[in-house]
Amino acid sequence: MGSLVRKSRLVSGCVVLSYVFLLPRTGLTQESATDTLRRQVTEMQEQLKKALERIDQLEKEKSATSGKIDQLESAAAARIGQVEQSVRGVQGAPSLFNPAIGMVIDATAEHRGKAGGNFNFRAGEIGLSASIDPFARAYAFVNGNNDGVEVEEAAALTTALPWNLTAKGGRFFADFGRLPKYHQDALPFVNFPLAIERMIGGESQADGAELYYLFPTPFFLRATLGGMNKIGAENERVDNTKSRSWSQFTYMGRLSSYFDLTDNHSIELGSSLAYTPSVRISGDPSGSDRILSGVDMTFRYQPLASTLYQGLVWGSELFTNSERFPFDDGAKRRRGYGGYSYAELKLNKNWSTGFLFDYAPMVDNPSQRTLGYSPFLTWQISEFNRLRFQYSHLSNNFKADKAENGNQFFLQWTTVMGVDIHGFQIR
Amino acid sequence: MKALLRNTKWKVFVILFVSVWLQTDLVFAQKIRVITTIPDLADMTKQIGKDLVDVESLAKGVEFMHAVPVKPSFVPKLNRADLLLLIGLDLEISWLPPLFEVSSNPRILPGQSGYIDCSVRINVLEPPTRIDRTEGDIHPKGNPHYNLDPVNGKIIAETIAAALSRNFPQHQETFQKNLKAYLAELDRWIPRWQEMATPLKGVKFVPYHLEWSYFAKRYGLEQIGTVEVKPGIEPTPNHLVGLVQRMKEEKAQLIIYGPQSDRFPRQLASQTGAKPLKLPDMVGGEPEADTYIKMIDYNIRTMLGAVKGG
Repeated sequence: MGSLVRKSRLVSGCVVLSYVFLLPRTGLTQESATDTLRRQVTEMQEQLKKALERIDQLEKEKSATSGKIDQLESAAAARIGQVEQSVRGVQGAPSLFNPAIGMVIDATAEHRGKAGGNFNFRAGEIGLSASIDPFARAYAFVNGNNDGVEVEEAAALTTALPWNLTAKGGRFFADFGRLPKYHQDALPFVNFPLAIERMIGGESQADGAELYYLFPTPFFLRATLGGMNKIGAENERVDNTKSRSWSQFTYMGRLSSYFDLTDNHSIELGSSLAYTPSVRISGDPSGSDRILSGVDMTFRYQPLASTLYQGLVWGSELFTNSERFPFDDGAKRRRGYGGYSYAELKLNKNWSTGFLFDYAPMVDNPSQRTLGYSPFLTWQISEFNRLRFQYSHLSNNFKADKAENGNQFFLQWTTVMGVDIHGFQIR
Repeated sequence: MKALLRNTKWKVFVILFVSVWLQTDLVFAQKIRVITTIPDLADMTKQIGKDLVDVESLAKGVEFMHAVPVKPSFVPKLNRADLLLLIGLDLEISWLPPLFEVSSNPRILPGQSGYIDCSVRINVLEPPTRIDRTEGDIHPKGNPHYNLDPVNGKIIAETIAAALSRNFPQHQETFQKNLKAYLAELDRWIPRWQEMATPLKGVKFVPYHLEWSYFAKRYGLEQIGTVEVKPGIEPTPNHLVGLVQRMKEEKAQLIIYGPQSDRFPRQLASQTGAKPLKLPDMVGGEPEADTYIKMIDYNIRTMLGAVKGG
């Protein structure tokens, strides 16, 4: 019994002890689980944070990689571009040293009053242009027509002179006036105004040299000085092949300027003077001087947003010629005034129309004059293909050549093969 | 003697004054004078050159870039330019060479260090397989309208920075720093534009002139013809009849034109239901498109508006 009691006491003691020991442990265990949970949550939060950071990092790496890919693509494209350009360069190599070549064909079907009609082949004009070396370039126009084959222009000009200077030498259209230095096929109407034909001798062709100076002004201002045998393709006063006194040469100067009035409106002004100290005309042995001068003005309306479809050009030139001509037994100084004015309106991309008024005296007898009235219509089929219709009425106060009198009709067809190399002077 | 001395002093003074006046450029710190042919290049040059450059574009954004009038007022600008930046690929062939004749500035002539052709690193699209005028006013070296693809914009910017650095190495660090910033800005926009332009993928369109090829390739648009018969050749009645039929068959959604007349786009729109859309092809072509980034953004947004608007 005693042992039973002892056992019971022992068991009770153990139970109590266990209870005493285990109960707090249970409490502790409960606290530890919360901590664990907290810890786990914290760990998970940290892991989540790390994962988010990693995602951010990966996204950054991805965008950086795509940027790199873009860069690589750009670099590859650029490299391909360079290679393609090289290939094109190699392909073009055989023609690299050939000049730019163009040919203008200009023909008219015309009816000139009592003189009758004609199919007039006016120009088969080959133009060449190329750089000569780093210091010069050259160009040439060779024209074949019913009058034969002629070198209209063949000139070299510098490209690297200091002080804004440019020199030109050879045969060229002298920088006199505005339209006189146009090739006939590039005119805004069919024929040269009679004032230019009579007073200058058609195109301002000259064998000689010119020096240009571009003023360092904020606006365009250019001066030209030149010395030449004569000015005018059909000027018969001087023979290009014969040597003569320097007093029988022609010396010229021109000042030209341009102003943008607005983005759409501009005005171009020019003044030219050609002086020949001694002109030898048969019948006048005195050999007096000749002074040919001109002023020109061109107004342009070119709306920037619709240059292709709209525009207006109004151009005028006035010339005076003063020289001695044989008169009775001696010679008499004659002073003549002539000029023209025209306006051309662009109707749309392909069509334009205009009107030319012409006043032209005979240089050896300025009291004899011709008035010309010429409406014209131009169809610019493409940049290199053009049809033009022109009616002209010429009225003379003297008995003029049949071809320069009465009503005239022209249908002009002008085409360009290859490169149009007329350049700045006929812009 | 005193009078003579006075005169001499005056003469010396006048000579000195005139000399100084003429050489103002040397007396005062001179900005780098850059002339560009189109405003896109001017905008990028400003971003890269910042205060170091004085930049001006010959063409205005509203003009047709192939046919800019040859104005003598361009001559003094070219005469004083340190650098000339151009699009190249013969884009300026009709109006830039005549200006070289009279600008009296050998620095900017082709082949010289101041002549910067920005197309040199471009992967050129549409090189002609046949070089003949029956193909219209084609560009033998390929399509020159690469400025409308913003990824090409990055290449242009790099070319400009390289040209500035090569010609003015004393400022190289500044140019490279500015280039980096500009490229970073473009890099922020390019993916955004790519995402924005997703609805444009597969959209069929007809441009007036072949100037949207680079843009179309970048954003997946499909060009199914042009209003022009050939580059530079206005449409004929036969061409328009064929184009209308094709646009109907292909369900073309847009007709894009720029400085050209809206006559033919509107005519085509009335017959096909496609939307005529006037978009700038150069910076400044629209008032809202006064920088390169704004121009690209404007073009994409306007196209999206037209496409989403049904």
